[in-house]
Amino acid sequence: MPEFELTSARPPLFHDADETVRAIHHGHVDAVVVIKDQEVPQVILLQGADEPYRILVEHMSEGALTCGTDGVILYVNDRAAQLTGYPAEHLVGRVIATLFEGSGPPLGVDVSLEARLWRPDNTSLPVKVRTRSISIDDSATTTLVTLTDLSIHRRAEQIAIAERFARSVLEQATEAIVVLGSEGHITHASALAEELAVQPPVGCTFSEAFPLEAQGAGQAGMLACFSAENLDRLLAAKPFHGVEVKLRSERLAKRSFLLSAGPLVDDTKACIGSIVTLTDITERKHAEEQQAMLVAELNHRVKNILAIVRSVANQTARSSASLDSFTTAFSGRLQALALAQDILTQTRWIGAGLKELLTAVLAPYRFADTRLLTLHGPAILLPASAVVPLSMAFHELTTNAVKYGALSQEDGRIDIAWRLTDADQMVELIWRERGGPKVELGNSAGWGTQLIKRVIAYDLDGVSEFDFDPLGLRCTLRFRVQDAPGSDVTSSASATQ
Amino acid sequence: MMDIDGYNLRLYVAGQTPKSIAAIANLKKICEKHLPGRYEIEVVDLIKDPAQARRHQIVAIPTLIRQLPEPLKRIIGDLSNVEKVLVGLDIRPN
Repeated sequence: MPEFELTSARPPLFHDADETVRAIHHGHVDAVVVIKDQEVPQVILLQGADEPYRILVEHMSEGALTCGTDGVILYVNDRAAQLTGYPAEHLVGRVIATLFEGSGPPLGVDVSLEARLWRPDNTSLPVKVRTRSISIDDSATTTLVTLTDLSIHRRAEQIAIAERFARSVLEQATEAIVVLGSEGHITHASALAEELAVQPPVGCTFSEAFPLEAQGAGQAGMLACFSAENLDRLLAAKPFHGVEVKLRSERLAKRSFLLSAGPLVDDTKACIGSIVTLTDITERKHAEEQQAMLVAELNHRVKNILAIVRSVANQTARSSASLDSFTTAFSGRLQALALAQDILTQTRWIGAGLKELLTAVLAPYRFADTRLLTLHGPAILLPASAVVPLSMAFHELTTNAVKYGALSQEDGRIDIAWRLTDADQMVELIWRERGGPKVELGNSAGWGTQLIKRVIAYDLDGVSEFDFDPLGLRCTLRFRVQDAPGSDVTSSASATQ
Repeated sequence: MMDIDGYNLRLYVAGQTPKSIAAIANLKKICEKHLPGRYEIEVVDLIKDPAQARRHQIVAIPTLIRQLPEPLKRIIGDLSNVEKVLVGLDIRPN
């Protein structure tokens, strides 16, 4: 039995002292306390062999509880108190089941299961619970419970999943993304960022891997005032969005990028770096420029068309004997204009095939026998500038044929033939009618003929000849199909009359 | 707040020695049976805080102190003898 000293302590009442000695003598106690003046009392366990195990339990990193058969907690170590969030003295005496979500671990049996411990803030903590039943002093059975914090493992798993997710995002990203650490060095880079960088980016500063052109894209001037060092500092510290830049690299000289940066924060919202993206906007810029040009062009064309309509209206009015004849002639000419516009829209203003244009203009006039209309000549792509004037000219010829020529008779026919001349710069087209009524010269005085002469001469830099052969009209058109160098294609359908 | 006739008990233990554990379990049972709703137990682990031993001059563990109602009473041992506990602490069953 270990030595202990009763004399130095202030003795309890005599009865108590007697009781104490008797209890010790009968083995009712398993520890004694030695109290000396001015010193911290010393607890001496009478079962010395248990000491190492006691220390082990007191200090182990897993939670440990002991509870009776009724589930009342008899002992908790520090770690168990820590896991529950309550001080040990609040736990002793409580029923163990109240610590857990659900019914808690079963007692009196040896089990191992996962459960969740309630915390004072009404959250719960995932734990591994192991129970083991043991007998004490032959009379009482207690259950030893150990608790292992699973949140650390879960957290590690979540971090691993998040890491895999982030890597996958970086690998799949269609933008160049780099992650800068707090020191301003690149720690991660997407596949596209690796391609754009002038050297392997990880480990470099941003400006080393992606040197920016000081001059060039619109807003680059804003960044140009920063030295490479200051730019790196700016990227690490200040969020900004969509600054247009160019990279100082020969292979990327024609490409434009939007540079954006935002902070990278940890769980506590503390900034631990930044995320920088470079978005290639070359195609977008090109499309925007194209769109702006198209809008300007459309505006120009609308004005031209209106001028043509006004001119046609005026001329038609002058040459019309009555309102009815004006209406018929004017709507036919407007139809020819609309047809030309349709063709140009369909071909996105690239132009139209000569044969296709003739077919479209003549389509409303059914030829009972297809042999009564022949179209013969090489495939020629008319520039957009030639489509409107030629459409008008062909409309006038057709209208004339319907009124006075071949198309006014059942078996009248029209043969249209063309060829390229002058090193493919010019087209010569011959419109010949047969089978119509006898042609009289007086028919040539109509404004249709004047219009043809005018558009071929002014709009197509060509000439037109009319041979009023009594057997049928023969019209020869010579016009340019290649735009003169420097000419403005878009302004070709000018209404200069 | 303790009732005027409530029992304020303080049990001194030493970590999880068998008798300490037994004493806690036994005391809880006795109180639930004989003093339901009229008791308050404070368990003091002298392994963790040995200085507490001075307050009631504890020399053997486990020791139960009845702080209230006065006078202060003590009983030493694992409290497995219910009769002795009831008599020793002067608990009058309800």
